[in-house]
Amino acid sequence: MKRIFKTVATSVATAALLATSTMAEEPKKGGTLTMAIQQTPRHLNPAVQSGTATGQPGTQLFASLLRYDEGWNPQPFLAETWEVSADGLSVTINLVKGATFHDGAPITSEDVAFSIDTVKANHPFKSMFAPVENVETPDANTAILKLSKPHPALLLAMSSQLLSIIPKHVYGDGQDPKSHPANSEGVVGSGPFKLVEFKRGEHVILERYENYFMEGLPYLDRIVMRILPDESTRAIALESGELQMSGFESNPRNIVRLKKNDALHVSSEGYAAIGPVNWLAFNTKGEKTSDPKVRQAIAYAVDREFINKALNLGTAPTALTGIHPGSPFYDATVEAYDLDIDKANALLDEAGYAKGSDGMRFALSVDYGWPAMKPYAEYMKPQLKKIGIDVAVRSSADFPTWAKRISTWDFDMTMDNVFNWGDPVIGVHRTYSSDNIKEGVIWSNTQQYSNARVDELMEMAGATNDANKRKELYAEFQQIVANELPLYPIFASPYHTVSSTSVGNAPDSVWGTSSPLDRVYLK
Amino acid sequence: MSDINTQTKDIIDIQATSSLREMTTMFFRNYAAVAGLILLITILLFVFVGPLVHTTDPFEMVWAPFTMPMQEGFILGTDYLGRDILSAMMAGGQVSLAIGLAAALVSIIIGVSVGAFAGYYGGLVEELLMRFTEFFQVLPTLLFSMVIVALFGASLLTVTLAIGVVSWTAVARVTRSEFLRIREMEYVAAARSGSARDLYLIFKVILPNALPPIVVQANLMVGSAILFEAALSFLGLSDPNVMSWGQVIGSNRPYILDAGFAVAIPGFAIFLTVLAISLVGDGLNDALNPKLRQR
Repeated sequence: MKRIFKTVATSVATAALLATSTMAEEPKKGGTLTMAIQQTPRHLNPAVQSGTATGQPGTQLFASLLRYDEGWNPQPFLAETWEVSADGLSVTINLVKGATFHDGAPITSEDVAFSIDTVKANHPFKSMFAPVENVETPDANTAILKLSKPHPALLLAMSSQLLSIIPKHVYGDGQDPKSHPANSEGVVGSGPFKLVEFKRGEHVILERYENYFMEGLPYLDRIVMRILPDESTRAIALESGELQMSGFESNPRNIVRLKKNDALHVSSEGYAAIGPVNWLAFNTKGEKTSDPKVRQAIAYAVDREFINKALNLGTAPTALTGIHPGSPFYDATVEAYDLDIDKANALLDEAGYAKGSDGMRFALSVDYGWPAMKPYAEYMKPQLKKIGIDVAVRSSADFPTWAKRISTWDFDMTMDNVFNWGDPVIGVHRTYSSDNIKEGVIWSNTQQYSNARVDELMEMAGATNDANKRKELYAEFQQIVANELPLYPIFASPYHTVSSTSVGNAPDSVWGTSSPLDRVYLK
Repeated sequence: MSDINTQTKDIIDIQATSSLREMTTMFFRNYAAVAGLILLITILLFVFVGPLVHTTDPFEMVWAPFTMPMQEGFILGTDYLGRDILSAMMAGGQVSLAIGLAAALVSIIIGVSVGAFAGYYGGLVEELLMRFTEFFQVLPTLLFSMVIVALFGASLLTVTLAIGVVSWTAVARVTRSEFLRIREMEYVAAARSGSARDLYLIFKVILPNALPPIVVQANLMVGSAILFEAALSFLGLSDPNVMSWGQVIGSNRPYILDAGFAVAIPGFAIFLTVLAISLVGDGLNDALNPKLRQR
């Protein structure tokens, strides 16, 4: 474990060095960047659609109010300045002057208010703007958000793909924003690039917007985002130079191979805000898995180190809690459940499940929702046999089948990968909050976990802007859930951005490739 | 009536015995078929007797992942989870062969029934049954079986049925054509004139004489069913709790560039088995088909 940590530390240091050396160079203008995205986006408007398939092209087309650097610091974007009142109940935003949509119309505070309303009403992440009661627009350049309570996630929720500023004069025509024709065709955006062509299953082609509000940017003339679902195809295209960049690469074998290639730069930076955590989730209302002792025994029996070494080849950082290890709120002091088969056996004995004559105690099933999760699910079968649990691996024909089984609580255990989405309020609370036990909704609290103190801690941490206080609250929260273990976190998905060494300023902010690529250039 | 029936039966029996002896001779004169038979027996011994000697659980993680063959005492190496590939090949072979046989049996039961009734009755019955057969024939087989497995869940039973259900059409066609030919034969007419019932004629009189080409077809079916199961497993649509050769290929496939042997070994086993079955099938075909004997 320590060695893995060291390797991560060294690679971070190297990455920092590389970053400073590239920064010294003068960026060049022009050129076409060919990069890959992994799925055809449902459409290109992140205001009403979550997910990085929409987010990667969407953040080029639409600017947000703020952007974040690699150290979680908010930076001005469409908002030139912003100010949170002392009581945390109002946020005043001054927009940058002279910003225009791709059709030439000015971007005003009206559009900001409209965008926030649209996101609040249509985006699946309801917690992002739930406390925003209304948005006042005293003049064209000022927007004042009035809140019902302090909302610490607000600044992050105003960045990247979480708040796209969309034109009111286009989307305010009374049509349903979720199925608006301008989501896919003739997109009128506010970001650094405008849409040339979106061809499903093939590509999204973007072109520099000449009147972009940031002086001298973007550097690139064009971005071609090719839609390539197959990871081997992408790896080969990166090696041959056909692709210059690809984000969200997560196949450990490919990562290790591409790292050896001198013409490529492979970085794990840029995923702290997306915050993907892989875990083994338990149905806490399941016949056997309702007993915390059973869940703890399973955690003691699963060898995180084996998974990280043999299956992830050291490409993935260990995750001990549902909060991503890259988050400032991560607490590494929680019970880690390091491999201890004897303890696991003792816990099961205590729970009243004695071994039968064949050495087995009881049977459980483990699900997985998509092929990348299969090896981890398969690993559980021989591993948990060691403590007398007969595991059946259950495959699902497709993602919706799995999502339905899990969200209707028809499971014992499942491998899962859930994103933090910046602030715990947006992406972590949903997993543990007892009022988010929602039948039929995947990535809600499908574990059906409920603990009044945990609910209370999350509520308090979600209603104060005091970072230190929040850290304390989240620490207590992580201690409790690590003890009661509705889910057993294993690792943070090994997402990597692979880019050609000819690409300058490869995205390394906390939002990675789901952020504007206006500073990326070709050497 | 019973006299005539007994008589007919005797004639058939005599024919069967003499042709069986002749067939055996023909078969063993065909070196390729004999080689196939030896290969097949070797594979059966490996798969069914092997586990008695080599008792490692195919699901148990016994060593570091991707230990090369012939190292650390692992004759065929270990897979991506560090499981013994030799055990997986034995246990997987049992499953692959069992699925192959069971699926072939399913397709023969469906195919022979449909073909027999269509060929015997003719007319509207034939018309309906053959249109029904054509309906299944035009469906892309792999896709159709994927749909069945996706709908009813991946278990050994559904996979076997799915393969059987998509591959019976050839049997139905062969059976029908044999029935069309045989039903006009004199001994059938003789039996019929003795007022034998339809079912008796179909299953006792005509079917035994129509068997040779069906047997050949069935044999080939086993090979293709094994390939089918491998394809389904490769696509991740087989039961993950049961080791089969296709399963071994499917689960090690992501690592093919790093540890090709884990994919190559089960692939080679499938190749050898299907080859052995085809050789035997060819030999049977030559031995059973009198028109080709002069070839």
